[in-house]
Amino acid sequence: MIPFCLKMACAWGTNSGKITPTQALFPLTSRRRKQFLWFVLPCLAVLALSSCKRSSSRDDGATFRVNLSTEPPSLDWSLATDHVSFNVIANLMVGLTEFDRQLKPAPVVAKSWDILEGGRKLVFHLRDDVQWSDGQKVRAEDFEYSWRRLLDPKTASQYAYILFDVLNAEEFHEGKIADEKQVGVKALDEATLEVTLKHPTSYFLSITTFEVTYPQRRDVVEKFAAKWTEPENIVTNGPFLLASWKHENEIRLKANPKFFLGKPAIENVEMFMVNEKTTAVGMYEQGQLDFLDNDSIPPLEKARLSKIPGFKPVPQLRGEYYGFALDRKPFDDPRVRKAFAMAIDRSVFPRILHGGELPSSSWIPPGMLAHNLKIGLPYNPPEARRLLREAGYPEGKGFPQVTLAYNTQEDHKIVAEAVQGMWKRNLGVLVRLDNIEWKVYLKRLQNDPYPVFRDGWGADYPDPDNFMKLFTSNSGNNHTRWKNSRYDQLLNQAAEEMKDDKRRRLYDEAQRLLCETEVAIVPLFVRVESTILNSRYIGLEYNSMQRLILRNVRLNSTSGVK
Amino acid sequence: MLRFLFRRLLYGLVVLWVVTTLTFAMLRALPGGPFDSQRRLPPEVMANIEAKYHLDEPLLKQYGRYLAGVVQGDFGPSYKYLDRNVADIIADTFPTSTLLGLLALAFALIFSFPLGVLAAKYRDGWADRACSFVATLGISVPHFVLGALLIWLFSLKLGWFQAARWGRPTSAVLPMVTLGAAPFSYLSFLIRSSLLETLREDFIRTARAKGLKEIAVLWKHALSNSLIPVLTVLGPLFAALITGSFVVEYVFAIPGMGRFFITAVTDRDYPLIIGVTLVYTAVLVVANLVVDIFYSLVDPRIKTR
Repeated sequence: MIPFCLKMACAWGTNSGKITPTQALFPLTSRRRKQFLWFVLPCLAVLALSSCKRSSSRDDGATFRVNLSTEPPSLDWSLATDHVSFNVIANLMVGLTEFDRQLKPAPVVAKSWDILEGGRKLVFHLRDDVQWSDGQKVRAEDFEYSWRRLLDPKTASQYAYILFDVLNAEEFHEGKIADEKQVGVKALDEATLEVTLKHPTSYFLSITTFEVTYPQRRDVVEKFAAKWTEPENIVTNGPFLLASWKHENEIRLKANPKFFLGKPAIENVEMFMVNEKTTAVGMYEQGQLDFLDNDSIPPLEKARLSKIPGFKPVPQLRGEYYGFALDRKPFDDPRVRKAFAMAIDRSVFPRILHGGELPSSSWIPPGMLAHNLKIGLPYNPPEARRLLREAGYPEGKGFPQVTLAYNTQEDHKIVAEAVQGMWKRNLGVLVRLDNIEWKVYLKRLQNDPYPVFRDGWGADYPDPDNFMKLFTSNSGNNHTRWKNSRYDQLLNQAAEEMKDDKRRRLYDEAQRLLCETEVAIVPLFVRVESTILNSRYIGLEYNSMQRLILRNVRLNSTSGVK
Repeated sequence: MLRFLFRRLLYGLVVLWVVTTLTFAMLRALPGGPFDSQRRLPPEVMANIEAKYHLDEPLLKQYGRYLAGVVQGDFGPSYKYLDRNVADIIADTFPTSTLLGLLALAFALIFSFPLGVLAAKYRDGWADRACSFVATLGISVPHFVLGALLIWLFSLKLGWFQAARWGRPTSAVLPMVTLGAAPFSYLSFLIRSSLLETLREDFIRTARAKGLKEIAVLWKHALSNSLIPVLTVLGPLFAALITGSFVVEYVFAIPGMGRFFITAVTDRDYPLIIGVTLVYTAVLVVANLVVDIFYSLVDPRIKTR
């Protein structure tokens, strides 16, 4: 295009008497030609400026590039709270255990463990070949320090409560106990960590997969204080090392040659922070990114991108539900709640959201112990109408004006509008929709919940306790204000029960109470993340808790790309 | 001149104090706190967090603590980016936003002058209409549309530039054009109208009557006298460009400061919001001061009193 433009401009300037093609196209007077030149020259300058060489399509495949979408708020695993931070940390660090493919805790730094005193005590035996990046050995004291730091009131960690099952942990965090040595975590020697719990806790082993329980080096944290996570200070023990961190721009990792499970096949990882999803897709299509997750794929593009090689939907341990405010009319009547639940056709959601969502009438998501699709109220409009009539609102007549609220987000709006239509069609009730900014919404849920509200939950650790505990009588996340002593009792029993079969039965009963008998909530669907991996690569693991594990990524020898 | 500078700096400090106070007060009136999240924290955990950031203190004490910090150049810790404080974040991002803003301003100035002059010189002619068309387009196409369009054309179709990110010299071109398009158009219109007005003045007629070449009349006499309105808008325009580049930074993944004007509010990151607002105010104050000084250089009739 540029040579053409230059030729055109030259032809304009020459006065050879011949009529150039452009003159033939634009028969202008000499004054107008001058005007035209004034206009064209700046345009040519822009084009000339931009005629730099094409961005080189690259390299030997030793660098793998992903999009984090945003700056990780913290790489300090005692302070991090979000999946972006954890996705970086999970590639820099390993802890006592990690999930296997069945989401069961599998040994990593802990080569084995003993469960003693009926589940009240756990003793972890550590490997002796795990090293920090500065060459020092990873010791049980590093776990002891990290756990106590997580609980220390001065650290002010948002995830401190995750260890509240540990003996004296809550009391230490509240400041009732000043001596950290009274907390039930103790390094018996370099390779043995003893954890004493308040009570038998069946899910505690799952908690040790969580990044906030990873070890830390006291000398490094104390020496560099808040700056200890900067690349020049941090010491890690995982498959990759933090090579650089340009804030708001990119993080670079390099393979750790001392990693005890072997150096990763990929030499470098570049993690970019591209917020705009359309831009991220553009970068992928231009070959500047090798992997996209849900945060980088615009909802409207999912249908198109689902057809390209490397696309993979990954069901998440993340559920969406509508909750009722049970402490006031009209949803204080279980028949009304049941009627509203039975008037929702969940099969619509994957069609309108295009993300492969899994409709679910029960609360514990697939992939977790005690997931049971048979629990919950199915779509049944005649029965819903009968229940509403029985409650005193035949065909919705006399039903008070109620609001269905959701935090401002496009997919929440789509779901709310669909449900509004279903309730109008099946029950004759027109609910008002209200969308509110996230933080204002949260405050309102805590203080004065809407009659019907949208909410969701993603697992911290893959155990039903993490999902079901939300709706206990004293849970801060139970915005429905539902209180049921039987439910609380079942959950306590399930938490202390060590046998899976018995736990399953207990959770079944609790789920029936929550979603069938009492209907404090209406589960809607389980989220599914869309991911795309460049077919040059294999071995990437993206799990059901949005964790991106890169240590097994390698070039696909059958892709034909060298 | 020195007295003028001193007085203006004093005014500037008062403005900064007023902005800090108002922002501080308005933020605390917003519902929702920085540590409210989907996972509602147990009260004892929340109490420790509030104690760490002094959010459990009376508001006046918090305000006093914050002001004392600002005077010493400490804007406090960010509530969102837990490993960094606000001064670090501003130091990391402000230079990028400034560079992008300067490039956009340079782009706007370089291209708006010829366009404005051309349009004025050939008023109502073909060139004038073409310039008006381009300028109207520049004003009316929003950043996110223009940015996406440029990425589609120059990155995805032609492959001349990378779609986004910052670092290489070429990566500045598309964001510069996107951010500079609106001021370029605005300045073109301004230069055109100001120049047209000046061209009607008596001294221009005199210059022409004396037999001066048209180019000298236009560039030397008319244009320099048309600069005052342009200079007036340059101060606020510069400030707006370096801090108001949120959409451009977002679309092109540029590690600048503009995004915090939105994200810090949604995160209720109080220190970061006040920090970036203060920087914006300071830039505005300084830019206006510089413009005032330039006035007196361009037009000796205006004195810095």
